[in-house]
Formats: sequence, structure tokens, C-alpha cells
Amino acid sequence: MEKVLLDILGAIVTFLVAFVVGMTYGGLNRKITARVQNRKGPPWYQNFIDAYKLSSKKSAIHHGVMHHLGPAFLMVTSVMTLLIVPVLSHNNWFPNLNFQGDLIFLLYIMTFGPLGMALGAGQTGNPNSAIGVTRGLSMMVGFEIPWVLALVALMIQYHTTSITGLMAVQAHSGTWLMFSSPFAFIAAVMALFGMFRYSPFDIVGAPTELASGPIAETGGKYLFVMMSSGSVFTFAKLTLYVDLFLGGADNLFILIIKTFALYLIPLLYSLVSPRYRTEQAIRWFWGWPSFFGLLAILQAIIF
Amino acid sequence: MMKELKEKIVQRIKANFADAAEKNDFNYNRLDFTVKKETIPSILFYLKDEMGFIHLSDANCVDWLEEGELELVFIVWSPKDKIKIFVRTRLDRDNPVMDNLDMIWPQLNTYEREFREMFGVQVTGLEAPDEFILEDWQGPPPFRRDFDTAAYAEKTFWERPGREDAQDVRETIANRDGEEIPDFAKKYSR
Amino acid sequence: MVNDKNSQKIVDFIQNWARKHSIWVLAYGTGCGAIEIPPTMTSRYDAERLGVRGAATPRQADVLLITGYLTVKTLKRVIRVYEQMQDPKYVIGFGSCTINGGMYYDSYNTIKVLDKYLPVDVYINGCMPRPEAVLSGFARLQKRIAEGRANGAQQYKDNLEWYRANQKKIIPNWIMPEYNW
Repeated sequence: MEKVLLDILGAIVTFLVAFVVGMTYGGLNRKITARVQNRKGPPWYQNFIDAYKLSSKKSAIHHGVMHHLGPAFLMVTSVMTLLIVPVLSHNNWFPNLNFQGDLIFLLYIMTFGPLGMALGAGQTGNPNSAIGVTRGLSMMVGFEIPWVLALVALMIQYHTTSITGLMAVQAHSGTWLMFSSPFAFIAAVMALFGMFRYSPFDIVGAPTELASGPIAETGGKYLFVMMSSGSVFTFAKLTLYVDLFLGGADNLFILIIKTFALYLIPLLYSLVSPRYRTEQAIRWFWGWPSFFGLLAILQAIIF
Repeated sequence: MMKELKEKIVQRIKANFADAAEKNDFNYNRLDFTVKKETIPSILFYLKDEMGFIHLSDANCVDWLEEGELELVFIVWSPKDKIKIFVRTRLDRDNPVMDNLDMIWPQLNTYEREFREMFGVQVTGLEAPDEFILEDWQGPPPFRRDFDTAAYAEKTFWERPGREDAQDVRETIANRDGEEIPDFAKKYSR
Repeated sequence: MVNDKNSQKIVDFIQNWARKHSIWVLAYGTGCGAIEIPPTMTSRYDAERLGVRGAATPRQADVLLITGYLTVKTLKRVIRVYEQMQDPKYVIGFGSCTINGGMYYDSYNTIKVLDKYLPVDVYINGCMPRPEAVLSGFARLQKRIAEGRANGAQQYKDNLEWYRANQKKIIPNWIMPEYNW
């Protein structure tokens, strides 16, 4: 009983840490973008102000049950991903709900949120939302392929389907999977571009083209929930990558250094890239990333 | 060279359309014909199909209030000869009726909708929605010269009363906002 | 305790502080003033350092920035956009045209006094206002929000019939959804 209570408390702490770190990364994103464009930029805590302002909006309009639940779907996905991913290697505070086969579960659950979101966006009747959803699903078809190839390569190579298993492999051998299976790492990082939806892959929520796409009819508190779930998901994704490829982290400081280093890759790439069209984006993902994914599988089978 | 070409065009038009009154005293690449209303479709067709004036530059309407007439002006351009021709015709101002011409140039459809809405020209056979730019317009056609826009605006829209005295209020505003007028700006004071 | 007057004051203060520093702008750029928005937002004047940021849709926006003249036709859309925005919301009238008609004072199709049709919190005058003037307008709006005086939305809700009468006077063909939030 006591353990369950401690787990629940730990889950809340994990969520809060993920929220704060994810929001800060969002703020740093805006700050770095501004500095690259030779601007002063907003303060790093600007995203917290925005979130608080959105949550204190007095009215919140929704267009039906699915639209009402859409942000909740996203939030559920983010929290589930976060709780399955081990935050630190050896720590009692952050609960570790993972099990044998959680990588496969993760593959499923990471697409569940956008699907629920798509249902919600469909109910608004806004044409921009419909186009955005279509684009989002098309792009998911694009980046899921290198991502799945990379994960399957890891599963074949190390005969395990759990994240802790892969972390144990790294701890045992002393090398990060980033070096022992580099092709899988390259394919996964390229898939990360698609997951973050930063430029040039911001075709889903292109503000000037689609009026922010699926979230066009979403404002106030709903947008606040989406913003926080996005921040939590950012943290969960980055932590997953660190666990899989960078050997995990022993304490929060190292985790933040590693995740931020990973976060800088799509961020800096976004600053120098204009937006792709949908078919260009899919072609990009089915090109080199998928090629590296196949190489990773070959490496896993042969070696 | 240009002069001979223009002469040739004038003679050809005069031979085919007896009622065309030409104006040929421009010292650049321009010609001007005034025709009757009935001749407009045939002369435009002839210019486009037979003489290479394939490009419609503009179509416009002019309100001759004192003469009680509306004038339609079609400007066509020949990319081969580099000459533009103005074709004019006059309509009765009280009952302006013209035929639909968008089978010659499809883009004439837009111009005809403008004539209809802004000048009240009836275009017989025009297939287009009633409203063009104005929405829920209930007054007279606004581009006619006897339409007093200022009076209409005064009647329809609110007006903000202006200040009688033309004071320099920058000092007051600066004091109110706690700002300072920089030195270089002070010399522009009235 | 929760509904205590002093604690409400503290909550209001924090909320107003957050609203003041996070202004998402929906720039309704039908008039010529829209050309002043890009320099305000980009590197030269960088409105984002004040928390001012563009919003893509009315549902997400806090401020409706009406840049320049409004014809009868666009006024209808502006009203529709304004009513889609979520409370609390503010309107900035931008340029002389929204104040007194500006150079379109005698136009047959341009409204002259915006605040008869929508509750305007801040006017920025000029034709065109420079980006400095726009930033000054935002600063003034921030000041009003911090003092709790930027309550145009409440004013609109309270005097809805008066505003509706004014709007219907120039928009005879009124097919709009009910405003009930």
C-alpha cells in the first residue's frame, strides 16, 4: 500500500519536473530563435506566463464532446509516455512503471494522442483543422518508418523489448548505443525532427498557412492543456532518447544536459530551414532516414 | 513606320465599320475609335480575331453627367504591332443597357460586374452573382457623379466631432504619460 | 477565505500581471496599416520581448488589432472575429481611420468611428503609426490591463443591445450567430 502511495507521489513529482523542464525548453527555444534572428527575445520564463494567462481565460468554447476531450487525449498520451520512460537510472523518486515489451507499447501509445486530437479537430468543422489533421497523419506515416526501423533494429540486436533492458545493456558494456549501433541512432534522430514538428516539418500547424491547423478552434483552457501536454511530451521524448541511445542519466543535472543537447538538434535545424510541403516531408523521411533504418537492421542481423 | 501602321489600321477599320469615328493625332502608339453601341461586339471581335489585338488592357466607364451619357471605354493591345486602341461608345445615362461581352474575353465578366454595381449599367445576359464588391448596398450606384458621397457618409456613419481650436497638445500628452519631448522635436512646435 | 476580498485582489493582481506580459495579437490587416506589423514583430523593433506575439486564430488571441480603415463589408467580419475571441479580450484601433475616418472621411463605404461598433481599449493615432507608436500603444494597453481598466469585453456584454443597434444600422442583412458567452 505504502509503495503505491509513494508511486503516485512520485508520478506527480515526475509530471511537475517534466512540465517545468518542457516549458523551460519551449522558452529557451523562443529565446534562441530570437537571438539567432538578432532580436532580444522574450525572457526564458515567457512560456510560463503564456500558460498561466491561457489557464486564467474566463471563457472556453468547445464544439462538442470530442473537441472537449481532444486535449485530454493528448495529455493522457503524454503522461503515459512519461510514466513508462525511466527518468533516471538509479532513483527511488521517479517511479518506473515499465515492463517487458514497453517499447512496443510506446510505439502504439505515441500515435494514440494525435489520433484522439484528430477526432476532436474534425468536430470543429474548421477546414484548416481538417487539412492540418490530414497533413499530420501523412507526416506520421513518414516519420514512423525510420523510427520503427530504428527501434526494431535495437530489439533484434539486443534481444530485449524493454527500455530498462536496453539501459542495462549499455551499463553492462560501458558504451552508449549511440556508438554501438550508430545507424539506428541516426535514423531515430532524423525521426525526431518529425516528432517535434519544428521547421521544416511544421506543416501541421503552419500558422501563416493553416492558421495553426488542428488547434485552430482551440483557445483558452484547452490550449493551456495542449501546451502543457506538449511540454511534458517533449521532456518524455527526449528522456526516452537519452535512455535508449545516450546511456540514461544518473541525476537530473546530467539528464538536462543530455536532453538539451538532443533538443538543440531539431531546434537549430529549424532555424535555418523553410517549410516543406507535405509530399516533400514524406519523401524526406522515406529517403535517408529510412535508408539508415534499414542499415541499422542489417547491422543488427549480421553482427 | 508607326505612322504608316496606324494609317493602315485606321483604313481597315473604316472600311469595315462605317460608323467608326477615329482620332489619330497622338504622337505615340495610340489610336482612338468612337462607335455606336451596336457595333461594339463586332468591332471587338474583329480587332481580336482578325487584327491581332488579343489583349484586353482595361475596360472602364466614364460618367458624362452634363451630356446625360455614360461612356464605355475598352482598351485593347496588340503585342505584335505594339499599338493600343481605345474603343469608345456612349450609353444613355437614364437607361444604360449593354450586351454581355464576356465571350470575347472572359475577364470582361469582372469589368461588367463593376459597371453594373458601380455605375448601374444593365448588362443583358451576364451570368454572375448580383453582388460584386459592395455588400448589402441599398443606395444609388456610388460611382455616378451625382451621388454625393460626403452627404451619404454623413447621413449613414457616425462622425467624431473635431476640436475647434488647433492647439498644440503634445505638451499635455507628454505630461499625462510622464514622457519628455526631446529637444530636437521642440523646434517643430507650432 | 477563498472569496475573501483581499485574496481576490491578490489573484487579480497576478492574473493581470500575466495578461499584461502575454499579449497574443490577432492582426486584422485589411487596411494599409498591416504593413507596419511585420517591422514591429521582427528584428528591428522586436515586440516579442514585451510578450507580444502573433496569434493565428481568434480563438487563441487576446488582442484584436484593427489596422486601418474598415468598410461595411469588413466591419461585419471584424464583429464576427471579435465575438469568437475568448474573454478577456481587448481591441486596439490602429491609425486615424479607426478614430475619425482619416482620409476616408467622405467615403460612402467606410465607417468612421470604430468605438460605436466595438469597444476599443486603446487607440493609436497616425497615418500610418510608426512601429514605435504601435509599441507605445501596446505599453498603454499593458498599463490599462495592470490597472484593471481594460474591460472593453465587459462593456460590450453589458451594452450589447446598443452595440447591436449601431451595427445593424449599417449592416441591414444581419446573419450572424448569437453572442452568448
